Amino acid sequence: MTDLSLRNIRKAYGDYEVLHEINLEVKSGEFIVFVGPSGCGKSTLLRSIAGLETITSGDLVIDGERMNSVAPSKRGISMVFQSYALYPHMTVYENMAFGLRIAGTAKAEIDARVCKAAEILQLDKYLQRQPKALSGGQRQRVAIGRAIVRNPRVFLFDEPLSNLDAALRVATRIEIAKLKQSMPDVTMIYVTHDQVEAMTLADRIVVFKDGRIEQVGTPAELYKRPANLFVAQFIGSPAMNIRKATVTDRSATSARCLLDGGVVIELAAEPGKLSKGEPISIGIRPENTRIHEDDGRDGTFTGTIDLVEHLGEVQILYLDLPGSSDKFLIKADGERSFARKQKICFTARPQDIHIFDALGNNSEMRGKEVFKNAGLF
Amino acid sequence: MSIAYQSSETERTDFAAVLAKVCLVAFLTSLGIVVLYPLLWMALNGFKTNAEMFGNPFALPSGFSIANYISAWNQGIRNYIATSVIVTLGSAICTVLVSAWTAYGLTRSKLPGKPFFVGIVLGGLMLSPTVAVIPLVRMMQDLGLYNTYWALIILYTAFRIPFTTFLIRAYMLGLPRDLDEAAIMDGASEGQIFWKVTLPLCKPILVSCVILHVLFAWNEYLFAMIFTSGADLQTLPVGLTSIMAKHGTNYAVVFAAMTLSALPIVMTFFAAQRFFIRGLAEGIGK
Repeated sequence: MTDLSLRNIRKAYGDYEVLHEINLEVKSGEFIVFVGPSGCGKSTLLRSIAGLETITSGDLVIDGERMNSVAPSKRGISMVFQSYALYPHMTVYENMAFGLRIAGTAKAEIDARVCKAAEILQLDKYLQRQPKALSGGQRQRVAIGRAIVRNPRVFLFDEPLSNLDAALRVATRIEIAKLKQSMPDVTMIYVTHDQVEAMTLADRIVVFKDGRIEQVGTPAELYKRPANLFVAQFIGSPAMNIRKATVTDRSATSARCLLDGGVVIELAAEPGKLSKGEPISIGIRPENTRIHEDDGRDGTFTGTIDLVEHLGEVQILYLDLPGSSDKFLIKADGERSFARKQKICFTARPQDIHIFDALGNNSEMRGKEVFKNAGLF
Repeated sequence: MSIAYQSSETERTDFAAVLAKVCLVAFLTSLGIVVLYPLLWMALNGFKTNAEMFGNPFALPSGFSIANYISAWNQGIRNYIATSVIVTLGSAICTVLVSAWTAYGLTRSKLPGKPFFVGIVLGGLMLSPTVAVIPLVRMMQDLGLYNTYWALIILYTAFRIPFTTFLIRAYMLGLPRDLDEAAIMDGASEGQIFWKVTLPLCKPILVSCVILHVLFAWNEYLFAMIFTSGADLQTLPVGLTSIMAKHGTNYAVVFAAMTLSALPIVMTFFAAQRFFIRGLAEGIGK
């Protein structure tokens, strides 16, 4: 059982700071996923945990022991690399046994551990093959096997599926999920930029941007209650639609907002939040929109279809809305037929509308009651 | 009309392609002949008598007698080959190992001012052996290494390290760092990473470097002539000049001796040609 703490972790290359005061507590046996766009520092943090990068300041603590200056191999950590990093001149067996041989483990013990890992990962038949004679998925399993045999306290995965094709990625993702189930006490930290991997594998997701943590939470929390505009648009596919709005009227319990393009919505607003004239942003996920025939009511959007993407069970409509050059995306039923230049009306349930203040932070307001009163549904 | 025009265009293009191919094959064949014929001519003349050779130098030998080869072998070639093998292999091993370690340090260490050290090592490429001869003779005499195998082994190693390091460094720059990091995670030390991971992966360029070094050391004349004086320590190039001096008029034996001296190196090259080309091709441009 291994707890891992990151306390005020900073990483800088000269004057360029890559990680800013990272604080994170990882509980024993947790599956944590780091997500974020390229260059956000997630891999750097993973490599700092592994010991492949030095930590400029702050503390990395594993099971109560400060690990900043402990050699990577002594931290009780195994890492699976994006490129697999298998030794091409060694067989699968030798690849998996390499670390144990270096550590001076007895041959019988090495045999036992490698064979057990090979059995778990269904690599028994390939132990005498070289990596070049294996498929991408098999190579990835060898890389995982090499990590398993060392009986690590913490597993680190650095974008392990990004070199696999779509079908294999799904299959390997499921294998990793099963692997985690079979090792409930092992803490796993997984870096990816693929939010599907993050949502499906993680107990908790850590969203990074520009070397800072934007939000930590379960996949459902991040999806339903994104802390800010960045998380709102990063989690979910297609990304959440964002529209600028201005508070035009303020009563004691509600705020009336005018969106760019002329749509009016009314929100429940606690006292002290949303003052008259304040610019805000409204977020609506494409899958939370409802297409309907009526027009002219408050909270109803009208747009013209510019592009239809058929994905089989659903279709993505790219709409031009008045007052904005950004496309507004709607996820619609795959059975219905839509045409380019078609005009449609849609709305969203009040609880599915996210409100962000002028700084882009979620104002935690949905205004369910007021929406009903406003006659949207 | 348009179709007819297109068809004649296509024919013209096909003809140009065929012509270009024929020219290329003819050129390469000529080049092959230019390179191989003198060697073949030398080997064939080793089977002739002296009279036969002067009578009709370009004809095939009347019989394939190996008497000249046996004579050359017994008149010192055996010793010269043995010395050359010792000096060449000894210096090749030293050069490649030292250069590989140097290249590993220059590519993998986080040494401050690394470009400066790269410049120092590679700057050795510009050092002319000729200008260093006199101080080197004094140095070898002082060290008691003059007229020993070690004199040549050390000198060949020293003068080939810059170029060999240059080649191995270029190759190592192309090796993925992930492998080093995986080995670090596995608990390997720098030495273990070098011996067990990096060096085996450098096999193609190491073979190339060994071949290039063998070509150099096998044919090197200046140092071999200056730093060895006894017949038992002379390498092939110096030994061949001795044979020519001794059998100046018996060209058939001289040709046989030359053929015998060239044979090991030609065989080495053909045996390792695949690695040689791959190693150089993969290391180029970094």
